[in-house]
Amino acid sequence: MADWHQDYERRYKELKQKGKSFFPYAVFKDCLVAFLLFGLLAFLAWKLGAHLESLADPTDTSYNPRPEWYFLFLFQALKAFPGSLESVAAVVLPGAVFAALFFLPLFDRGHKRHPLDRPFLTGLGVLAIAGVTALTVEGYRSPLVNPVVEKNPEVVEGARLYRQLNCAYCHKIRGKGGVVGPQLDRVVGAESPEWLERHFRDPSAVTPHSAMPRLGLLDDEIKALTAYLKSIANEPFTQEAPKLFAENCAVCHKIRGQGGEVGPDLSTIGSARDKSFIVRYIEDPAKTNPKSGMPAFRGQLTDLQIEDLARYLSSLGR
Amino acid sequence: MKRRCRAVGEWLRRRTGCDRVWETLFARHIPEAEGPTAWLYTLGSATLFIFVVQAVTGALLAMNYVPSPDHAYDSVRFINEKVLCGSFIHGLHHFGASFMVVLVVLHMLRVYFMGAYKYPREGTWMVGVVLLLVVIGFGFTGYLLPWDQKAYWATMVGTNIAGQTPFVGPLVSKILKGGGEMGASTLTRFYALHVLVLPAVVLLLIGIHLFLVVWHGISEPPERARRRGEGNPLG
Ligand code: HEC
Ligand code: HEC
Ligand code: HEM
Ligand code: HEM
Repeated sequence: MADWHQDYERRYKELKQKGKSFFPYAVFKDCLVAFLLFGLLAFLAWKLGAHLESLADPTDTSYNPRPEWYFLFLFQALKAFPGSLESVAAVVLPGAVFAALFFLPLFDRGHKRHPLDRPFLTGLGVLAIAGVTALTVEGYRSPLVNPVVEKNPEVVEGARLYRQLNCAYCHKIRGKGGVVGPQLDRVVGAESPEWLERHFRDPSAVTPHSAMPRLGLLDDEIKALTAYLKSIANEPFTQEAPKLFAENCAVCHKIRGQGGEVGPDLSTIGSARDKSFIVRYIEDPAKTNPKSGMPAFRGQLTDLQIEDLARYLSSLGR
Repeated sequence: MKRRCRAVGEWLRRRTGCDRVWETLFARHIPEAEGPTAWLYTLGSATLFIFVVQAVTGALLAMNYVPSPDHAYDSVRFINEKVLCGSFIHGLHHFGASFMVVLVVLHMLRVYFMGAYKYPREGTWMVGVVLLLVVIGFGFTGYLLPWDQKAYWATMVGTNIAGQTPFVGPLVSKILKGGGEMGASTLTRFYALHVLVLPAVVLLLIGIHLFLVVWHGISEPPERARRRGEGNPLG
């Protein structure tokens, strides 16, 4: 086993003597590659830049995070391991891979170095590359990981103000915040925007003896806060909505144990999806999810009915 | 004038031994690699180069960045909109992070497929695997810093995953987050890791890595075993 070590050293010395000087031959190549890379990097930085999404909103549990692309394959792999097995995929497997990589030179100790002379390890490497690539592509394509939630800039600004003005000191949204005032996502849906605006100008003018302070907000700020509150509120739906669901959707979907098995259970859909996503999904699932097995309902149901259904569904599981 | 230059050169040589350093680092001979193979050997130095870009742009970003939940987002917006060349520098750092990950993996693959981790370069490889982990650590901690939606929620998922590790999970997740919930202490922790701890660790490791590379000499391109040294009983 150890004999080839000396053999190798002798041979390496020979090759080294026959070889070229590191400078300038290798250094030239290194510099050229670095130069080209920097060109590409600068081009991307200049043309595309680094984008910011809206400010982090810890109450917005409907946000579907997309990891940095080089972690995508891991996320995709996680989906194959449901429930308690998730920790196997998330921690045990990657840990094992890193351990195997780390100790690789201690296991693979022969003298053969050419990839074709090491068919097992070469094959393993190629398989790993193919697997990671396939998972990354799959993760990228799969829209259910990350529905693009377009947000109205007014709403974003409102969310920022809500945080900055510490409204959560008195109010709860999605279960987080204080108890002095009402839970805003529960009650605000019933109010008109005009009512909300008047209330913001002077709470006690609308609700006598209100404990909510007058905040002296600017018009823009009032608009933004109103838009934000409207966007998080459970909007009222009619008695028709559950019936529409029973007639059109229950063949495939369950709500609280009632319904079919073809599609996912929608009992808690409101905690995962926002209303605009649901509207778009009902109108034409294929637009959001090219592989969808659900029929489009645009044309079958009126826009009002779809809106009604979406309001009903987005109130579930909140 | 010329004589004076030479005198200065001689002075420096005497005190620093820079000529010897030049000889060992640059004037050393390396086995010849031909054609496209030779270019595969540039991946390591390309990784090093992008790391330098990250360090420079990162230091520039750190001059305007504020690691607190109340100001992080606005400070990054300030960098993008107001700071001279800010959006360009931010862009360089943003894409540089991806470049770094890609290059380090490609570099590892070239070493893997060429069997360059074998005797006597086992140590170089092992340091390399730790370097790979550190680079991933950079990416993970950096992702939170802009404190926007994707930063917050992706890190939430990431720390929750870390929390699932058997036995030590909850502790690890608590240490990363700086408490039970994500918030100000998570951000300051990630920031300290990203700009203080990891750079120190990575510099040390790169130092060892490169020392070993020069010490053992760069590996020769692999040859098919059959052709290798006729009359060699092992060949
Ligand atoms: C000091 C505690 C306090 C603070 C701070 C506070 N509120 Fe209130 N808020 C209340 C109380 C009490 C009520 C119930 C009485 C009323 O309707 O005025 C209320 C009512 C409301 C209502 C009407 C709810 C409804 O439909 O009946 C809205 C909307 C509202 N607050 C929004 C906000 C926003 C946005 C902020 C932050 C800018 C805020 N509040 C800050 C205490 C507070
Ligand atoms: C023929 C069966 C079928 C019918 C009828 C159907 N769906 Fe679906 N639905 C599915 C399937 C299957 C999925 C899973 C994803 C996919 O293939 O699109 C789905 C997915 C969904 C989703 C997305 C869930 C998520 O988390 O991404 C929503 C929302 C939804 N359906 C709502 C409805 C509503 C509302 C109706 C009635 C108007 C309805 N569906 C009728 C089969 C159906
Ligand atoms: C920050 C990350 C890294 C930097 C800056 C770096 C830098 C370098 C450089 C400049 C070389 C010289 C030869 C070449 O360019 O190929 C090299 C060689 C080497 N690297 Fe890395 N490297 C890094 C990460 C890694 C990783 C992740 C591994 C493997 C897991 C690794 C394993 C090796 C080995 C075994 C050699 C010797 C190869 C030979 O002699 O042919 N390195 N590294
Ligand atoms: C391997 C090297 C590094 C990687 C992979 C990396 C990665 C990242 C990533 C992904 C971000 C998020 C930026 C965005 O997309 O918006 C980031 C931000 C940041 N990084 Fe790094 N980084 C590295 C090195 C450094 C170094 C050495 C420093 C400084 C000493 C630094 C300082 C910063 C700062 C201040 C930010 C926050 C500002 C911002 O969000 O743009 N980074 N980094």
